[in-house]
Amino acid sequence: MTMNDTMKDLKAINAKYLMFHAMTDDTDAGDAKFLFSTKDNLTSNDMETCAGSRILEGYRPAFDADCIAKLRKAGGKLVGKCNMDEFGFGTFSTNSGFEIPRNPFDLERACGGSSGGSACAASVIEDHVSLGVSTGGSISCPASFCGVYGLTPTYGRVSRFGLIDYGNSLDKIGVISQKATDLKKYMTVIAGKDERDPTSMVQPEFRTAYRKMKSVAVPKEGIEGLSKEVEATFKKALEQLIAMGVDVDYVDMPSLKYAMPAYYVLATSEASTNLARYVGMRYGHQEGDHSLKFDDYFTSVRSKYFGDEAKRRILLGTFTRMAGFGGRHYAKAREVRQVIIKDYKSILETHDAVLAPTMPFTAPRFDEISKMSALDSYKADYLTVPANIAGIPHMSVPCGYDSNGMPVGMQFVADHWNEDILFSIAEDWEKQFDLRRPEVSI
Amino acid sequence: MKIGLECHVQLPTKSKMFCSCPTEDTEIPNSHVCPTCLGMPGSRPVLNRDVLKYGIMIAKMLNCEINETTWFARKTYFYPDMSKSVQITQYDNPIGERGVYYLNGKKPIRITRIHIEEDPGKTKRTADLTSLIDYNRSGIPLAEIVTEPDIATPAEAREFLTQMIGDIKHLLDIPNELEWTVKCDCNISVGVERVEVKNVNGMKHAEKALHAEMIRQIAMIKAKKKILRETRRYDPERDVTIGVRVKEFEDQYGYIDEPDLGIYHIKDLSDSIVIKESPQNMTLRLADQYKIDAKMAKQLVSTSVELAKLFEKVSRDLGTPNAVKWVAGPVSANWRVFEERDPTLDSEKIVEIIKGFNDGKITDTQCTIEIKSFMTGVDAAAVQGDSAGLDSMIEKFLDENPKIVADYQKNDKAANQVIGFVMKQTGGRYSSAEVVEAAKRLIEARF
Repeated sequence: MTMNDTMKDLKAINAKYLMFHAMTDDTDAGDAKFLFSTKDNLTSNDMETCAGSRILEGYRPAFDADCIAKLRKAGGKLVGKCNMDEFGFGTFSTNSGFEIPRNPFDLERACGGSSGGSACAASVIEDHVSLGVSTGGSISCPASFCGVYGLTPTYGRVSRFGLIDYGNSLDKIGVISQKATDLKKYMTVIAGKDERDPTSMVQPEFRTAYRKMKSVAVPKEGIEGLSKEVEATFKKALEQLIAMGVDVDYVDMPSLKYAMPAYYVLATSEASTNLARYVGMRYGHQEGDHSLKFDDYFTSVRSKYFGDEAKRRILLGTFTRMAGFGGRHYAKAREVRQVIIKDYKSILETHDAVLAPTMPFTAPRFDEISKMSALDSYKADYLTVPANIAGIPHMSVPCGYDSNGMPVGMQFVADHWNEDILFSIAEDWEKQFDLRRPEVSI
Repeated sequence: MKIGLECHVQLPTKSKMFCSCPTEDTEIPNSHVCPTCLGMPGSRPVLNRDVLKYGIMIAKMLNCEINETTWFARKTYFYPDMSKSVQITQYDNPIGERGVYYLNGKKPIRITRIHIEEDPGKTKRTADLTSLIDYNRSGIPLAEIVTEPDIATPAEAREFLTQMIGDIKHLLDIPNELEWTVKCDCNISVGVERVEVKNVNGMKHAEKALHAEMIRQIAMIKAKKKILRETRRYDPERDVTIGVRVKEFEDQYGYIDEPDLGIYHIKDLSDSIVIKESPQNMTLRLADQYKIDAKMAKQLVSTSVELAKLFEKVSRDLGTPNAVKWVAGPVSANWRVFEERDPTLDSEKIVEIIKGFNDGKITDTQCTIEIKSFMTGVDAAAVQGDSAGLDSMIEKFLDENPKIVADYQKNDKAANQVIGFVMKQTGGRYSSAEVVEAAKRLIEARF
């Protein structure tokens, strides 16, 4: 298929899978060298950007996110902005103010979240790269559910200029693709210092030379609570890794269980301040009774256009920041983050990566998701949250399929700034793994 | 009665605190704005390092302990002119803490902390009850100086503000003519509970607002009514304070660290900054070092730090009596005109003229005339005529009112009678500084 063939099919593909919230009207790729899409929380100056929230409906940013500008400069054509959980608040991309993307392997199932539309696009569209954003696992989870590779780099590796914030101390922009080799190729384009995001200015050189992964540590806490099929598939993958010459050790990482509560305190505290700016002024919806007092006016706009999960996280975050609670929860959560980083570091002194399944189960059906409580879905992230709170790079790699044909993923976690070793293992794995492509009939 | 102040002063950077928008004034609303100071989604702050530098300078001037590391915090509150509904300010580890400022060089006013933060935009209410927001001011850097409740009276608060702001202006090289003011949150308690009068503009209003609030609290106590801990505002037209809301406590703002900006290690920067002597300290030093009257030292420094420096030079080269007689006399009287005529303030010639007097080459009168002629650019003959006219007018008035000389020895305010008379007779032909100088000189000659 040529790029122009893909361009002509885009609308029909999107009608079936609903991966894009906004997309190009072009049917010609022009002189583009490659096509790409991004999660809709990255600002684009030529397409509406809503971050999955109705409160931003109609918002056309005045500037491109740094990563989008860099891909365009490298010859990329932005074809669409991908559906997502509102502001990144979710595990299945079902907490969206707009369309909910469908799993490429079963339309009745979710793509994962919150970068669900991005993983869907990467899985369905040939030769496609999509940018995702991870705060607590939002790249790994959908990559795993959609059977593609997803890299979340070290915090600070990619400039967040132009990223609509969820939790600024946790947000990381990464790459999703069917091809392991693409991750390195496009990460090389978007990584690097940018003065407009001071947290990107401290990064060391981005290394890409091959470096064989020799050993992995599997935390015992990381293989608890798995579905039988995920457990069995993961065990087979471990055998395969051993056959490839990778040493596999089992280790204890008791601190992992504290990652989840600490993450929700930090992420919601920051989110509740980030979402304060949406008051129905300057951008997005600004409707309603303008004669109301300001407090009443913005309350009416926020009540109407924020979804339930956004409201829940604003309440949680405002609570954890409150007098008396701030010290107890927020400060404690920051300490937990340091403990988790220390634990990873000590294991990564003797191992190249920490390895576990990405998600405890395969992509659930929408009817199953509707029966889950908020807490149930928070808990589903227990395997992806620890590496995210530590800000260390990790990669979800497709490692098998369950009896329904749904993909299973495993997640390698490396030390800060060591993306190179993740690229290397993914490329080695790709050579011997029989990746299934979804049947895309339109 | 206890009074504590939170003073906000603008830092003289060219661009805003977190973006490259200019800080200069403009008539056109919302023209000095960008995605960052408008709080557009996806924008983020980049710190202007000059803000740290100016903050450290003020912290040093206020004798604060300067933290080796400093960082920013988010203060969340909803107000239409606050573009992000979050103000980037400092909470833990501000730039400086535990300082002290000596009012009149004597009374210590303890400084709790100094931190830096961004200014919100401006809300403009129109006649038809709508409000318009101008974000040109959004993101302009401010220093907030918080004092302990060490101030005793509203008048003392004004005195403290006048001295401290004068010192800060000199420290940061803010030109005198620039409209550059202080905004204060004034905390006052006459009895037990503290009331905050928020957002008072300028030193005069600070005194008046505190005074009005003091009167209100005293009346409340007399009437045995309870004073609520609350925030009020000052209405200058009616000269009263008005309740706004029950006080929000700092911890209700739900501060968290600002995650987009890192931790700043400012020890090296701080060590590299040497600050100038403040005018207030210079006043004290002059009085002490040259054994001159505190009033004269204050007059010299408040006229101009450059004039005070000239005083020191003449004192060093030609002795303090010459400096007192000439620099604090006719040179000071003509300083304003001189400043306008020669912004470089090249005063070598003045020293030369005084040296001529000191060496006995010219007389007292000649020296006065030459100084004035040089400083004002008016030729010597005209000056001579003028000052002869002025002198003879004063001499005649003193002859007719000899009591003034005796009164003056008790209280130098007696000279005001002479000054008032001359100003009235001549209708502004002579500058007031000139008249004061001549009056004092001629009265003192009669002792």
